Amino acid sequence: MSRLTTRLVQALAPTTVASAHCDIPCGIYDPHGAVLAAQTVAKMVELIGALDGTSPADRNKFIRCVTVKEQHAEIVKHEVQVIWSDYFKPEHLVANPDLHTKVWNLLKLAGKNKQNVDAEAAAQLQAGVKEFADIFWSTKK
Amino acid sequence: MRPALQPGDWLLVDPTTRRWPRRGTIVVVRQPASGRLVIKRVAARPGDTIRVPGGQHRLGSAEAWLLGDAPEISVDSRRYGAVNLDHLVGRAWLRYGPFGRPFGPVGQPSRRRSAR
Repeated sequence: MSRLTTRLVQALAPTTVASAHCDIPCGIYDPHGAVLAAQTVAKMVELIGALDGTSPADRNKFIRCVTVKEQHAEIVKHEVQVIWSDYFKPEHLVANPDLHTKVWNLLKLAGKNKQNVDAEAAAQLQAGVKEFADIFWSTKK
Repeated sequence: MRPALQPGDWLLVDPTTRRWPRRGTIVVVRQPASGRLVIKRVAARPGDTIRVPGGQHRLGSAEAWLLGDAPEISVDSRRYGAVNLDHLVGRAWLRYGPFGRPFGPVGQPSRRRSAR
């Protein structure tokens, strides 16, 4: 009788698990913050390019855009660095042997975006961060 | 999702759901990017306007804004943005176990709550 009950319970128990929050079981790493920050950098470059006035309002907006560009390029650096140093483990390097070089270039690219107003560099930053995010997610599969 | 759900609850999920159910409903979705199965509550539906840092955002015709019940620790739309309908797996419908947990519908918004 008890064997029947056990089998019945086993048959009824769910086979799929959905998580309510993934922080504690899987760590709190997520490259989405870096992706968003890189998007913001590109958007700021675009906004700065669209400004040509010398009115106080335009100059004010110019300075605000530059500030936000600086801050978000710094967020890209921080987010990428944290995932790189804290999340990635030696076994991840087997599938991604050039990870260190890629991260190094990405951090330099973020610096370049701080120094310049360069749409191409901003696009490269977005592409680089996306690639980094793809590598991150590929290790979760 | 406490107290509505507890880890280990057995849920029947309706996979025939073809549109975002009303606000307050608990749904199972594939988390954008990671593909993980996660359980969240519908906070806003297509066409709703939500407040985000820096302004407002109107959800597209297939988008919902999903939030966990534990705001301090939940990873939800605040992190990954609006979720498209093609990520919806189903509506959490009924808790049927394990033994000792109340049997019955879960996450059904009360009439009063959905009217808000």
